[in-house]
Amino acid sequence: MVKINEIARTSTFAWSLDSLPLLATGTVAGAVDVDFSSSASLEVWDTFSATNKNDPIFSAPVENRFYALAWSKPFEGRPKGLLAGAFENGVIEFWDAEILIKSKDLKKASVHKSHKHSGPVKSLQFSPSQDHVMVSGGAQGQIFIWDTKVFSEPFSPGQAMTPMDDVTSVAWNNSISHIIASTGSNGYTSIWDLKSKREVLHLSYSGPSGRANFSHVAWHPTQSTKLITASDNDSCPLILTWDLRNSNEPEKILEGHKKGVLSLDWCKQDPNLLISSGKDNTTFLWNPITAEKLGEYPTTANWAFQTGFAPAVPDIFATASFDGKIIIQSLQDTSPPVSTKVTSNDDNVFWNQISTTETQQPVFQIKQAPEWLKRPSSVSFGFGSKIVQVKKDESGKSIINILKFVSKSQGGSSKLYE
Amino acid sequence: MVAIGNAHDDLIHDAVLDYYGKRLATSSSDKTIKIFEIEGTENYKLVTTLTGHEGPVWQVAWAHPKFGSILASCSYDGRALIWKEQPETQQWSIIAEHSAHQASVNSVSWAPHELGAVLLVTSSDGKVSVVDFNEDGTTSHVIFDAHAIGINSASWAPLNNTNSKDASVLKQQRRFVTCGSDNLAKIWKFDAASNSYVEEAKLEGHTDWVRDVAWSPSVLTRSYIATASQDRTVLIWSQDNNGVWQKQLLTEEKFPDVCWRCSWSLSGNILAVSGGDNKVSLWKENLQGKWESAGEVDQ
Repeated sequence: MVKINEIARTSTFAWSLDSLPLLATGTVAGAVDVDFSSSASLEVWDTFSATNKNDPIFSAPVENRFYALAWSKPFEGRPKGLLAGAFENGVIEFWDAEILIKSKDLKKASVHKSHKHSGPVKSLQFSPSQDHVMVSGGAQGQIFIWDTKVFSEPFSPGQAMTPMDDVTSVAWNNSISHIIASTGSNGYTSIWDLKSKREVLHLSYSGPSGRANFSHVAWHPTQSTKLITASDNDSCPLILTWDLRNSNEPEKILEGHKKGVLSLDWCKQDPNLLISSGKDNTTFLWNPITAEKLGEYPTTANWAFQTGFAPAVPDIFATASFDGKIIIQSLQDTSPPVSTKVTSNDDNVFWNQISTTETQQPVFQIKQAPEWLKRPSSVSFGFGSKIVQVKKDESGKSIINILKFVSKSQGGSSKLYE
Repeated sequence: MVAIGNAHDDLIHDAVLDYYGKRLATSSSDKTIKIFEIEGTENYKLVTTLTGHEGPVWQVAWAHPKFGSILASCSYDGRALIWKEQPETQQWSIIAEHSAHQASVNSVSWAPHELGAVLLVTSSDGKVSVVDFNEDGTTSHVIFDAHAIGINSASWAPLNNTNSKDASVLKQQRRFVTCGSDNLAKIWKFDAASNSYVEEAKLEGHTDWVRDVAWSPSVLTRSYIATASQDRTVLIWSQDNNGVWQKQLLTEEKFPDVCWRCSWSLSGNILAVSGGDNKVSLWKENLQGKWESAGEVDQ
């Protein structure tokens, strides 16, 4: 990893979908500052700005703290998308991102505010297929589906199989637009069908070390029957992959976290990449298909409660932790590791150096290249009007053709190669 | 036609002919580079397999033959390697390693040979480096931030007519274009006053990653830059009378898939575009200044 930026906030975050993404941050609920201040704010950062990436481009105080933020894709009338915030008091508020950034006025940008939830709202997600549709999940098993174009009355996904406790995470299926998943503190991951308006499946896991307490759920980027869940139970800190065609037991178990897993994000552009973070202060990169741990990023000084890829730039991701920082870093770092070994014989120097070395070098290089770098086809001209073509055949193997370009006179049909 | 199947154990990302069109270098996700001898119009022979990279090899580039049999390669492992064939033994070996980048190195391209042995290198770390191979066998490089997010490719400007042999005059001819995941292409020029590369123009027009850029080699007619993008379009850029770069869509209709690469014929009048749909299309400019199809390779 190459650290790109560090934001000194204990905040939950949401990336914008721009190619140079902005980051929205909101003071996270459930944490106290060192000075016991209870203030909260909503801010937006231009973290790739050439001029100033260390100050927010928008900042405003808010009355309550956040559990979650979500940033929609642009849709009709919302050229920079909608920003949605879930507050600890159960309120969900929506802001027009363009007005927010231009006018720098929180009130002016607010387009809707709802008290529909009767307790804290823990999770928000916009639909990947219908840009203006959002799902929210919170206390007392409440899940609502929102139409943010018209803000009609939000509806519930239907009847649950068993009584539900707090919902901690909600996720849209990436290929079937009427399927969502939710996880809750009752130890179940639920699959909902919005068409038949009911919970159609639920998953649970008990292993040798205990029962999974699901904290987070994410769907496979393309395969509709596969999903992944994280458990925040310290005695069972596992990430489980599932294929719903056999929901009795997980397909793969990703073992590595020492304490409960709080967050994960499955890369939309490459199903072979997943990041996770947890109570053991670590952020890991995995291949969730092979269940192989690809690497560990520098640890934080407290729980790493949220991690997420920049959706349009998956080379970049952010991790937020309770040590008051959001670290924005790159997936890969090929520079040779710097030795952090302290060699001095003087005890004082040793302790000074070791305690100021806060972020160590990563202990790995990712051997697995991301999908988006793998050019599948190529063309180049050579001497004598030769064209070299590289392409994939039906079985996915590369073939090279060398052809000769023959230009015919004007008007006549041109013959291209022989 | 020469068709080479099963050349590598994994995807092939690049294949380029040498100066004479006699030898083909290929690079692959199997971490190797292969060199083939092309015999006539149908036969080929594998000459050697070069191993040394620790990740997929994205691109290869032949140096001008006046420098010897030299090949540059770049990889996900963050390095560019320079390979040389010893004329006596015909054995290939690594003669230089360039590891100034912190992420995947995505492109390597040699400067016009009149400018000397100079290699342009771009990386996912957002930086460009220009490596000089000096006559005494040493190398020196400059590296600078060019795009806010990774850089995918780069291409040298053709040389203006010059008869100068003066190194400092020649150095001021250094000019190239880069393209990146910030949806931009940028033109850079060597600035003698600051002894660095400065941004000369920003080409804004694509709505997604710019995958490849190619500066037309011809100096006879107008100079064109082609950019191929993830947004399924190709833009052709040329300077108007005021020197401002203007864009034109190669074709109004979007391509069926990602435009991965573009390449000019050596005379600069034909552009080839390869897409994620496995097709190569050919384009030329008509008398009205519009770009029209010159056919499709559907082998």
